[in-house]
Amino acid sequence: MDFPHLHLLLNHFPIIGTMVGAGLFLTSLFVRTEDVRLSSLIILIVVALLSIPAFITGVGAQEKIVADTSISNDRIQRHEGAAELAIWFMEVTGAVAVIALWQCVRRVTPAPWITLAILVFTLLTVALMARTGNTGGEIRHSEIRSGEENTAADAALAYFEPSPARFTRLMIINKWWWAFMMDMHFFGLVLLIGTIGMLNLRVLGFVKQVPIAALNKLVPWGLAGFGLNVTTGLLAFIGMPTFYTHDIAFVLKIAAILLAAAAMVVFYLSGAFRDCETLGAGKDAPLRAKLIAGTSLVLWFAVIVLGRYIQPLQDSIAR
Amino acid sequence: MAVPLFLNALEQTGFSTWLRESESVFGFYFILVLHTIGLALVVGPNAAIDLRLLGLAPEIPLPPLKSWFNLMWLGLAINAVTGVVLVLAYPSKAFTNPDFYLKLTLIGFAIWNLQRMKRQVFDGLTQDEEAMLAKGRMLAVWSLLLWAGVITAGRLLAYTCSYLVYGVPC
Repeated sequence: MDFPHLHLLLNHFPIIGTMVGAGLFLTSLFVRTEDVRLSSLIILIVVALLSIPAFITGVGAQEKIVADTSISNDRIQRHEGAAELAIWFMEVTGAVAVIALWQCVRRVTPAPWITLAILVFTLLTVALMARTGNTGGEIRHSEIRSGEENTAADAALAYFEPSPARFTRLMIINKWWWAFMMDMHFFGLVLLIGTIGMLNLRVLGFVKQVPIAALNKLVPWGLAGFGLNVTTGLLAFIGMPTFYTHDIAFVLKIAAILLAAAAMVVFYLSGAFRDCETLGAGKDAPLRAKLIAGTSLVLWFAVIVLGRYIQPLQDSIAR
Repeated sequence: MAVPLFLNALEQTGFSTWLRESESVFGFYFILVLHTIGLALVVGPNAAIDLRLLGLAPEIPLPPLKSWFNLMWLGLAINAVTGVVLVLAYPSKAFTNPDFYLKLTLIGFAIWNLQRMKRQVFDGLTQDEEAMLAKGRMLAVWSLLLWAGVITAGRLLAYTCSYLVYGVPC
């Protein structure tokens, strides 16, 4: 299993996943079934998370074919630019879906602006991801290349598309900008551990006088910290892509983040949270909730440990 | 600034050299990992308490949060020890950087602020919510500002230095 294999496996999720998510969300507006809406939001969140490794493995896959002179480097750059535009819309879609899901789980009907935002961002993401897939396919498949004639819509999108080389330079050209991003990455870490970490600790039995449902009210701040870290993390990755793809600590860190996020989704949707929600001060959480909370805590601390080992483990994956 | 000789002597000790040069995963970066975990244990719960004192999540009862301070003291203890070890690895680098003194000063104020929060807000015998909040609000603002300053000053240590080791400019 190397980066090209992983990229080919993962790159279909953002394209097909957003289409399925968008379709289900549209359906939920007409059918008004709670389950359909929940499913669409979960799919959009999962796809937003899976888009991160799809994006990252693209850089690793590129390195394997960049020496092949029969492959146009311009096409690779176009695909990368399309991906660098689509990923941000995908992550914003995921963030809005998290807000909507948070309200749904607490049986609050999402505000109209949230429904509108999901609709707009999901549909834009579907288009941008389809474009990313198309430009990616053109790298290898000569039979789908349409010559030079570009549609007006494609030309308009290309206007907003970053040049990968310029985007990368922009991130690393100023040392203080880089320092600022890393500083924000630590602020996000503190918010995550202070809220989601403390909730996990409480479920495990630490300071039981604090009710779980009360502590849960701070979790949106942890999610905001996670959003801050996905943003600064992606920007840092774009700044030094091949530094990160040759680092085993980075690859494992991404895996740990995805698993920690999955643990959170399971905690809230499996009924484990519902079991805890009604527990008052001093009450012990059920075993299932404890198992999930313990897993989550171990994973978040693994993320911190692996993050710190990125620097010394550079070039731990052969170039 | 002339670099004092004793920093060179410190750097030449076996432990300091091992920290800098060891290829082992338990070398310098292991200490750095522990320092980051300590940071998470101090500032994480403290930030949550600050948010609560500023009026967010009023459902959280204040008195039991007093027990969270034990976790914060543990984090502080870890970081006091690992902080000294990190300085032992690169003493010239630390002591010739003004940002290092800024960080220590901010840590001093942040711990002082934390102790005041513990005494004035959580050690009160009345445990009257309104009274606790009234006393805690300004301390919470200072807590957030000071820890943000500590983290920023700490992060900047990676981007600012005059000497890497004795006699070797950065």
